[in-house]
Amino acid sequence: MSDTDPNSPSPTAPETDSRDARPDRRDFLLRLGIGAGVVAVGAQGAASLRALVPNVSYDAPTTVKLGAAREFPDGLKFLPDQRLYVFREGNTYHAISAVCTHLGCTVRAEALSQPETREVGGSALRLTHRFACPCHGSTYSGDGVNSSGPAPRPLAWYRLSVAPDDGQLVVDLADEVDRDFRLTLA
Amino acid sequence: MAFALKRTPSTPSAPGVHPQALWSYRPQSDREAGDAIVSNLLLHWFPAKVYKPSLDWTYSFWLGTASAALFFLLILSGLPLLFLYVPSVERAYASVKDIEYVVTFGWWIRAVHRISAHLMVVAVALHLVRVFLTAAYRNGIGRSQRREWNWVLGVVMLLLTLFLSFTGYLLPWDQLAYWAVTVGTNIASSIPYVGPQMRELMIGGREIEQATLIRFYVLHCIMLPGALGVLFAYHMWRVRKDGGLAKADREALLPLPRVEPATPTKTYTLLGVARGTAPAITSSSLEVPGASVNAVPDLTRRAIIVTLGTFALVSILASLIASPLEEPANPLVTPNPAKAPWYFLWLQEIVTDTTIKLRSFTINGAFIGGVILPGLLVGVLTAWPWLDRTSADVVGVWFARERRRQTLVFLAVLLAILALTIVGTYLRGPYWNFYWPWEAWPEIPARI
Ligand code: FES
Repeated sequence: MSDTDPNSPSPTAPETDSRDARPDRRDFLLRLGIGAGVVAVGAQGAASLRALVPNVSYDAPTTVKLGAAREFPDGLKFLPDQRLYVFREGNTYHAISAVCTHLGCTVRAEALSQPETREVGGSALRLTHRFACPCHGSTYSGDGVNSSGPAPRPLAWYRLSVAPDDGQLVVDLADEVDRDFRLTLA
Repeated sequence: MAFALKRTPSTPSAPGVHPQALWSYRPQSDREAGDAIVSNLLLHWFPAKVYKPSLDWTYSFWLGTASAALFFLLILSGLPLLFLYVPSVERAYASVKDIEYVVTFGWWIRAVHRISAHLMVVAVALHLVRVFLTAAYRNGIGRSQRREWNWVLGVVMLLLTLFLSFTGYLLPWDQLAYWAVTVGTNIASSIPYVGPQMRELMIGGREIEQATLIRFYVLHCIMLPGALGVLFAYHMWRVRKDGGLAKADREALLPLPRVEPATPTKTYTLLGVARGTAPAITSSSLEVPGASVNAVPDLTRRAIIVTLGTFALVSILASLIASPLEEPANPLVTPNPAKAPWYFLWLQEIVTDTTIKLRSFTINGAFIGGVILPGLLVGVLTAWPWLDRTSADVVGVWFARERRRQTLVFLAVLLAILALTIVGTYLRGPYWNFYWPWEAWPEIPARI
């Protein structure tokens, strides 16, 4: 303390230099501060938003056992939990989704007064029903093809299989198949 | 009397210091009337003096005030509901049922909340219509006015009001709620590429479940009312900055009827507006004595009448109209027909009719009718102040001649929306089939 003279000019920089440098340093610090603030707020905002996107889904599994195949009635059965229609004709099975392709309401099946047989995906299919949607009035023919109303696509068909362990009918709701799909049991 | 004051004119010790803590509902002098505004937290929104014709019942119909009163009432009636409602998938429906049937006066509080919400949609929409038809989104005198931004703010506030209503719709977790949200969020997911992710963000997963309920609950109780409150405060501040209602602008533009002689004693204090001591610079016909009145009590009295009237109307309607509660939400069965809340029925009608099919190429009506069309409508509405190229003379005039064409287009769009709403409400039966109301309710074919 005692060995420096407070009145002597600073040895590090001449006076004119320090006067020029000061606004620069201040400016730099100001920008640094603003930048840090923006980054901090931005990162926190991004983190908060990211936290709203779930990493784990507790949705129901997509592969579901539906019960013994031979217990399905001939014709159609509605499975509300899977929003699915399962059709049986003798020993062939197929499954059509009940989720309307327009905006996701559950379509209803209406029995046709006169069952008809139609060529669907290369093989003959007996159509006993058609589908209608209560939300905006889309209708689908018995093979799930949209016939009127705002529905843009046919109803989805899902893959059916037989569980190897107990022989139950299994649907894979993540596996859409073409309309020529048939599960034929021996 | 709480408002009673000594009748002698007060003499403040210094400019800006107001000796009276309370304000008089019946001020004896202009000075007292001005003091009232400055010394009262709530009234400081208002100017000391307002242009008299802008208080006319038939100019603004006081729709903005009514909207604000309804918003206030919604917050008030929402508070007890916060204590009673449980935002859980298992318990939400039962708690609403308890509010309706078990809690003393619960049904009434719920009805007040619900009816105010419906009326607020109506009041805010009509307020927008009024502002459009009087061209009040235009700057009249131009000096530091930003009325067009207040219009943009208003459009955003209308959207917030709709979202507030819609998010509240889900909370009872009944059939009505569940399917409205299914359809609503599927509209979002019809946007190409980002849609499905947007839907997932909205409902917090792939299915409408607990995560969805809690998201809508937080939006309904905190985020949206918070945003609306902030915008509302800013909206009011802007009205004040822009010089009050647009009708006052018009008056400022009119030529002076006569020149006032200078006043001998001037004061430049904040409240120098008091007649007789104001600087005698009469720059517009607004400042001609008699053109404006004191905000207290002319403005406050009307504001109180509108607010109390709104409250009374809601209370009466709430005791007469029962709030519906459908069956508990059932993801397995869609009600037939499943209808959106009435303010979205026109959109439901549009999404029904706008699926486009070009041979193998199909665009879902949800995207055209649910996203593109409403988006365009909101876009055009927002940009309108900059598209309107008529002169400033039209500001604050109902159905101005010069704007005849845009008035007609606006009314036509409005009528179309109204017509679609009526079709959706009265002419749509099971499976959304068209039928006439005097026909028998169509037979629903037997279900499996
Ligand atoms: S959801 Fe089925 S027609 Fe719209």
